[in-house]
Amino acid sequence: MNPLLALLIKASAIYGGLLGTAALMTLAERKISAWMQYRVGPGGILQPLADGVKFIFKEELVPDGANRWIFRLAPLMAAMPAMMTVAVIPFAGDVSLFGVDFGPLSITDLDIGVLYVLAIGGLGVYGIILGGWASNSKYSLLGGLRASAQMVSYELSMILTILAVIAVTGALDLRAIVAAQDSLFGWNIWTQPLAFVLFVIATFAETNRHPFDFAECEPELVGGFHTEYSSMKFALFFLGEYCAMIVMACLTVTLFLGGPAVPFIPDAPWFLGLAAFAVKAGFFLFLFIWVRWTLPRFRFDQLMGLGWKVFLPLALANLLVTGAMVSLF
Amino acid sequence: MVVVKRKELTLAERLYLPEILRGLSITFRKMFAPRVTRQYPEEPLPKNEVTRGQPRLVVKDDGNIACVSCGLCEAACPAYAITIDGQETERFIEREPQRFDIDMLRCILCGFCEEACPKDAIFMSDELELADYTRKGLIYDIEKLKRPASALKRRIDYVHKINRRWPTSSST
Repeated sequence: MNPLLALLIKASAIYGGLLGTAALMTLAERKISAWMQYRVGPGGILQPLADGVKFIFKEELVPDGANRWIFRLAPLMAAMPAMMTVAVIPFAGDVSLFGVDFGPLSITDLDIGVLYVLAIGGLGVYGIILGGWASNSKYSLLGGLRASAQMVSYELSMILTILAVIAVTGALDLRAIVAAQDSLFGWNIWTQPLAFVLFVIATFAETNRHPFDFAECEPELVGGFHTEYSSMKFALFFLGEYCAMIVMACLTVTLFLGGPAVPFIPDAPWFLGLAAFAVKAGFFLFLFIWVRWTLPRFRFDQLMGLGWKVFLPLALANLLVTGAMVSLF
Repeated sequence: MVVVKRKELTLAERLYLPEILRGLSITFRKMFAPRVTRQYPEEPLPKNEVTRGQPRLVVKDDGNIACVSCGLCEAACPAYAITIDGQETERFIEREPQRFDIDMLRCILCGFCEEACPKDAIFMSDELELADYTRKGLIYDIEKLKRPASALKRRIDYVHKINRRWPTSSST
């Protein structure tokens, strides 16, 4: 099969899956929150579709004094990076369907996959800062500022935990990291439990989710950086947030839980691997929602204190010990 | 001076994580608890004799309403929702309302009319739903307010029971 055609098919399947999952996540968020509060929640799988149609038909407002260009650009800048990072995630092994070989199920296979995810994922904060700044509103500006401070400080410890994983695996390629964890006890979560915990918590801060959602903390900042946004632009911010959550869940699975590796079944067929990946990533997506409806929001100084005084030293110590272990044995 | 003694936190509490896991386990268990949502229009609201819905006029067994148009409910109504015009009648009670309107948009369901009525003619029903396409349609006249005594029996018995607690009130 023409490799370009195979790539196109794979890309559309992965992006369809990503956007579909993001849409379903909005439904899951409301449904699970309802369950946890003894409510029934919205009924029907078509709810995201109805929400989308509603968003499209809403009036688009640009506030007075807003920087129009950046105001319009910011939602795209917030949504794009999350969607771009999914390109390197290896969802499953070699796919062959109807006798056609599609190659491994990921859009591209970069040698520096981890760096690519971090570099592009780090751009997501620009959309939030610029959206907050361009709105010409104090609430939006404060939300954007908080988001930037938070993302920068947590990105650091997140990168340090990933560095520990890279030190263990000896590869920057996500596919190589997955290949190094093919048996259940080879998963990085067993060799790097501290890094795993730190990474999971840092993903919450990275994606601006509860209990670290200071960028949009409602009681203080109305809606945070998206206070002035309406209609599809508002929806794009949300799409970006949910896509970032999905990418982070996928990344956690890839780095620590063996990606598409199926426990106790070595050399599992690709669809089993994909199902295993979906189950593992689905757990983390559920965790995002679960934590949101369990914990109250931190205080901002607690958040920064936690990031700089606890996470950074722990991640550094973890990296140090890991480095020493790797070079000694 | 008030000194608030803060609880000393144990190590496990200061670590956050065990407590977070405890909270997570609580919310997870509550996902399977029974729902409290009521599917309102399909599933009716719970009603009993204490429910104070919209006021209705009692139709006695002989087919006439008990109202003698004394105007006490009109006077008692804090929302000025009731309008009564009286007229003479051949019946033994000598007076009956020619017009008895309750503006349901003004009515606050306080039940003062029920308390004021000396003739057991007006009672709070358990009807709570109120909808129409015009405001005028929500000004209920006699025909719309009439309810047979059997339909209001539970409320009537309840009010009588309550009133027996004050066998001699100052006004009677």
